[in-house]
Amino acid sequence: MPRLRVSGHLGICARGKFREEDELDSTLERAAALLARARLPVIGGLFTDIDGASAALALAEKLGGVVDHAAGEGLACAARVMRETGATPASFGEVRNRADTIVIIGKNPLQRDPDLLSKLFPGKPGLPRPGKNNREAVLLGAGKATAPKGVPLTSINGKTSVPELVALLAAATREGLFEMRDKAQRKKLDAAGKRLRESAFAVFVYDPAELEEPVMHTVLEMVRHLVKTTRAATMSLAAPGNGDGVNLCATWTCALPVRTSFARKVPENNMWAYDTDRLLASDEADALVWIDALDGETAGRPKGAFRGIPAVIVSSKPVRGAGRDDVVIEVGAAGADHDAALFLPPIAGIGVVKATRANKNKPTVAEVLTRISKLIGKTRAA
Amino acid sequence: MLIQLKGGRIIDPAHNRDAVGDLFIENGRIVDNADVRKPDEVHDVSGKIVMAGAVDVHSHIAGTNVTLGRQLMPELPLLAAEGGQPILPSPAAWGSYATGVRYAEMGYTTVIEPAMIPTHAIEAQAELAAIPIIDVAGLVILGNDDYTLNLLRKGDVKSDELKDYVSWTLAHSKAIGLKVINAGGSEAFKFNARTFDLDEEVPDYGVTSRGIVEAMQGAVEDLGVPHPPHVHCNNLGIAGNVETAVATLEATQGRPIHFAHIQFYGYGNEGDKGFSSGAATLMEAVNKHKNATVDVGQVMFGQTVTISGDILRQFDGRRAASPKKWGLNQGEGNGTGVVPYNYKPKSFVNALQWAIGLEIFLLAEDPWRVLFSTDHPNGALFVRYPEIFHLLMDKDERARWLDGLPEASRQVSNLAGISRELTLSELAIITRAAPAKLMGLADRGHLGVGAVADVAVYTERKNKTKMFSAADLVFKSGNLVVRKGNVVRVTWGRCYHVDPGFDRQIEKRVAAFYDRYYDADPSWFGVSNAIHRPDRFATIPCSS
Repeated sequence: MPRLRVSGHLGICARGKFREEDELDSTLERAAALLARARLPVIGGLFTDIDGASAALALAEKLGGVVDHAAGEGLACAARVMRETGATPASFGEVRNRADTIVIIGKNPLQRDPDLLSKLFPGKPGLPRPGKNNREAVLLGAGKATAPKGVPLTSINGKTSVPELVALLAAATREGLFEMRDKAQRKKLDAAGKRLRESAFAVFVYDPAELEEPVMHTVLEMVRHLVKTTRAATMSLAAPGNGDGVNLCATWTCALPVRTSFARKVPENNMWAYDTDRLLASDEADALVWIDALDGETAGRPKGAFRGIPAVIVSSKPVRGAGRDDVVIEVGAAGADHDAALFLPPIAGIGVVKATRANKNKPTVAEVLTRISKLIGKTRAA
Repeated sequence: MLIQLKGGRIIDPAHNRDAVGDLFIENGRIVDNADVRKPDEVHDVSGKIVMAGAVDVHSHIAGTNVTLGRQLMPELPLLAAEGGQPILPSPAAWGSYATGVRYAEMGYTTVIEPAMIPTHAIEAQAELAAIPIIDVAGLVILGNDDYTLNLLRKGDVKSDELKDYVSWTLAHSKAIGLKVINAGGSEAFKFNARTFDLDEEVPDYGVTSRGIVEAMQGAVEDLGVPHPPHVHCNNLGIAGNVETAVATLEATQGRPIHFAHIQFYGYGNEGDKGFSSGAATLMEAVNKHKNATVDVGQVMFGQTVTISGDILRQFDGRRAASPKKWGLNQGEGNGTGVVPYNYKPKSFVNALQWAIGLEIFLLAEDPWRVLFSTDHPNGALFVRYPEIFHLLMDKDERARWLDGLPEASRQVSNLAGISRELTLSELAIITRAAPAKLMGLADRGHLGVGAVADVAVYTERKNKTKMFSAADLVFKSGNLVVRKGNVVRVTWGRCYHVDPGFDRQIEKRVAAFYDRYYDADPSWFGVSNAIHRPDRFATIPCSS
């Protein structure tokens, strides 16, 4: 009996309608046969709920394959920063109620959520918060935005790149020496640095998919400098497609985030080596399980999918471009056809989204993957 | 099917039993076989020790905090194994699956996760559900959350609304009891406090730590929850904090309370280095306050990562991080701090911490009130338990370890002067009978007729590390799951919780609170039977 098997049982699945004694579906048998032949399958997309993620991890372990997520790049960068040096996240609720200075870094936060500022500055009294400052926003390389009513907003843009702006703000915060030709921007940076030093709770908001790792390190060091005397934190935007939920599930299963391979005895994480795009482009992967089954979101397909590589496509949407030998399995959309445990930004954790239409005729990703897993087990036993 | 464990030495302190005899199992329970039926399966356990499956009262095995630790330290098992700790060198060794497997191999069958965040209860329960074999339960954290503090601001610590809120939180997260971590201290940290004492006031809210604990004691007692408030005191890890611990004990006014990992509060401030053992002082108070139970939080040398909702303490502890990285999650209520730490035998402080923990165990007059824990992974990884059993049961082993420690540490510890060795019965109390009783899990921790058939069989050896590292046989709910120290069958356990009942009006109030301040709906984080395995949850009765 393996002592380190990473999974093998669904944590929160089994809704009852799927039973082992059900007649085997020929589609699932074809999928199992396709995957049983694979040398290094990659389970990608992973736009699914926690049940689906748990089943995908169990399948990857059984196949000796790889798990990745369609938003894996940003997740992997954030994970690497975390394990190299740590993190200082604050929840949405803490930021909304208690931050007196919120710095939005880069364009992604406001592009991905145009209502972000009004959510963070709701215009009504919040919980008791430290200090006596009025609440303010600073946009750093974030473009232009309308300030919520009554909220002072400073926009620092110019021609300077976001990484450089972050570095300059870090210098300004420490009252370090630096030169900048654009005097107007320089003045704003100095003022922002002063404001951060005087803040009771400063928070830096960014999207890990937009910032490069050194920039995230600089932001983190800014926080660590500030907390010597005051309170500070970061708040990163959640990845699309329940990326944070899938990532958490991978972590509690095997202590590693997505982009992990189970091909060897010990699971191995490598953000470059186990990137779906790279695995497919290099022909290192010889089969793809593509999962795209969340309500209201569509996973960006990897380059070249599904051309030339055998694929099992598990999707809640119509699938175009599948090869003749590919196996397409229609499933319910998590959060619409069935209840789903997903990462929910307002609680900065996993919550349950109730089904909006409850279509019990469609199987879930978890049910399909678990069934394929069992079929592969039978094939191998035979 | 009737199973017989034949001829073992049955150690069952709950029934004052320490004698050779037979044990019978049927339909997952212990039975008496009074009608002398022929068993279907016989295991000859003559010469072996037979105990109830062990119950861990305080071990961080699931939830946001633990997974934050995993995110920070995937390499923990590799570093630990490299340092000689009995763990496989793979990140997955501290994943959910391996946790259940290793616990079972040691003869553990029930484990309590002591720090579920209310808004993240779904994650905690999903993680617990991914742990095989063992039964589990979780304690949910309150006391630094703004809803509670807002109620206490009004000054009425006995309000029905607080009682309803506590009850709603227990039910909503499917918890077995309430955890209070540095009451008010985490909230004060949000206002930039860096220390927080028993009688300091939470900024803006005005209530003291003492007031919060008192209010929670009252609510839990009124609700009839079997497990009293599980309290992590102020000033953890600070020299001289034994005074805080004793003052907190005095403040309980004879009402039931459980103090967690008290080794971390057994610190005096005597000697040249201003740090000394306060174990004797602490245990004098614990022995006197018969309303109080404690678990110890024993430290062992080696690499670990500390994980705690005491964010104020963890922030301070970042300076001692080893490796030098740390994480601080500032969320609703307590938040979390994760700080890697390497306890070194050559360190004066670490050696003294190790000695203080053992002193506490050995100075306990009543083992029913001084329970086993390492506060996994904070004091030590749970895989180290057998080594600690060895130290508690063998004074020569203790002396051998003590000889290798710094002279300065030995001088300010009283461990060398303690000759007590715990008996097998006493070990069974602190690892089985007492934890089960304390949690209200009446059907386990003992081997009486009707108990759930969680049974561990060991080969008696002088070397207790070897004896308890690998059980000969383990039965979980009557199923043979471990043989010769290896899992032979993977089963899936249950999660125990309380549901004391509440006035439904509280649901509307909490919903309005979350809507106003968090733009969130509490139904999002309610743990539901529907998304778990059938029969996953079992309710234990409350006395109210």
